[in-house]
Amino acid sequence: MLLEADDVTMAFGSFRAVSGASLALDEGEIIGLIGPNGAGKSTFFNCLAGDMVPTGGRIVFAGADMTRASPEAHARAGIGRTFQVPTTFEDMTILENVMVGAFLRHPRRADAHEHARRIVEMTGLKDQAGQRARTLGTPGRKRLEIARVLATGPRLMLLDEALAGLTPAELQQAIALVRQIHATGVTLVIVEHIMEVIMTLTQRVLVFNQGHVIASGKPDAVVKETAVIEAYLGHGRRKRRP
Amino acid sequence: MKTGTLVLAVALLAYPFVLYDHFYWDIGVGLLLAAISASAWNIVGGYAGQVSVGHAMFFGIGAYVPLLVFNLWQLPPIAGAPLAVALSLVLAVVIGLPTFRLRGHYFSMATIAVAELIRIFIGTWDFVGAAIGLQGPAVGRGWWDLTFRSELPYYYIFLVVLAVLLYVTRAVEKSRFGYYLRAIKAGERAARSLGVPVQQTKLKALLLSAVFTSIAGSLYSIKTGFIDPESGFGILISVQMVIVAALGGAGTLYGPLVGALILVPAQTATNTWFGGGGSGLTYILYGGIILVLARFEPGGLHELWQRLAPRLRRTPRAA
Ligand SMILES: Nc1ncnc2c1ncn2[C@@H]1O[C@H](COP(=O)(O)OP(=O)(O)OP(=O)(O)O)[C@@H](O)[C@H]1O
Ligand SMILES: [Mg+2]
Repeated sequence: MLLEADDVTMAFGSFRAVSGASLALDEGEIIGLIGPNGAGKSTFFNCLAGDMVPTGGRIVFAGADMTRASPEAHARAGIGRTFQVPTTFEDMTILENVMVGAFLRHPRRADAHEHARRIVEMTGLKDQAGQRARTLGTPGRKRLEIARVLATGPRLMLLDEALAGLTPAELQQAIALVRQIHATGVTLVIVEHIMEVIMTLTQRVLVFNQGHVIASGKPDAVVKETAVIEAYLGHGRRKRRP
Repeated sequence: MKTGTLVLAVALLAYPFVLYDHFYWDIGVGLLLAAISASAWNIVGGYAGQVSVGHAMFFGIGAYVPLLVFNLWQLPPIAGAPLAVALSLVLAVVIGLPTFRLRGHYFSMATIAVAELIRIFIGTWDFVGAAIGLQGPAVGRGWWDLTFRSELPYYYIFLVVLAVLLYVTRAVEKSRFGYYLRAIKAGERAARSLGVPVQQTKLKALLLSAVFTSIAGSLYSIKTGFIDPESGFGILISVQMVIVAALGGAGTLYGPLVGALILVPAQTATNTWFGGGGSGLTYILYGGIILVLARFEPGGLHELWQRLAPRLRRTPRAA
């Protein structure tokens, strides 16, 4: 077992954004996390990545209790995450952004540079490598977020709507990239509203609603379940935050 | 870039001989001191984006301790400089540890408050001369007292210190530490998610910054042979570092030096033209610069140049 999140709860005052959610992941899995806006998916990621300390429950990663560990300790342990709203370092170049990630396992600049160059090439950002991140549009930024995390050498990657807002062609490239990352042995959890991504990429799906995991299973089976259709697709047409 | 560095180095080396006069040497010494102080501030305030408005606390410690060891034990003032560095490091830890745990402007506010408290306290403490301050050796007992009648030796000593500081800064820029500082400035949350030990990195930056700011203070008091609460710990000392760095470009290698090259002569000029009321004018000058920078070019002259240079280069060909 790579990750075991047990009965995780994240309460803001009396409001439970995540309520008793559990997730067990084996190394090499690629799973989807779906649910309507405000279901608690990003908050659950924040708990898994150490950005928030859950108010209840326990998170064990690779045999170590990470429940209260800092985000940087999570990164060191091998949990990498992207942010729903991109947080690229705007005044640094694309290559420098990726180097910040690469430095985690390559303290010497020359090694980090070499590693980052490989990642930039793999993620298709080579042509823009010398530009500042601020020159990228949202799709480029999302790609850079993936590249930066990948450079930290994670065992588990949490992608929070990293494929949202892409054109159909960009989406196909991004799906191919995620496949490629998965093929190198990285375990992935993907939060995504685009059903095409969930159906084509994931082996298993968890459905969140109002902080609870209300269903889980094979993608096609889960989507058919009525509870899911009511909770998710029923609200699916609501306007989404970027 | 390499040629630019060379031109700058030659210009600074040759300056006292091109403008061979005490008046210009004095400006040169002041300019170098401002450049050293602002470059030291720049490490934590510029690169890491942790804006200290109280760096006078390190400058003041650096300035007081050399004259204090002279007054207490008749030691050469320079012997107090390492002790001042040690004290500055302790103070940096005391301020950095609690505030760097928090986000936002707690660090900035803490630095202002602590610097002002120290200034007020020093002004009432007889042991360090209270409001009167301290005096260095009136006549040098040997070269080790570093009391030269001409500004020239000071000019070159200061220039060496500035060169060392810029060399260290360049090394920081190229290292993991430097990348981490810029990442922290750009976004702490993202930096942490990539494994950057944010609190520890900020503290390291503050320590390095405090060391050189303290040295700047020591250079100042050894040269002038006199220090009082205002010239050591005054708020203007802190604000000048921020403005000089911001004017040239905070978080860039030569930004603070460029800022000093412009601001120090400008300050001398306004003081000369408008007579003795210097300090009031200084406030107005600083206020004006803050307004202009905040409104038009927060990145300072460096950023302005980055935007204009490509256009200037293109124009002649197009014409
Ligand atoms: N720091 C916080 N303080 C208070 N409430 C929060 C906080 N963070 C999230 N919430 C609330 O928790 C709920 C879950 O938010 P979350 O962002 O996890 O949803 P989500 O499933 O990621 O939604 P989306 O699909 O829109 O990204 C929302 O109602 C949100 O307003
Ligand atoms: Mg979300």
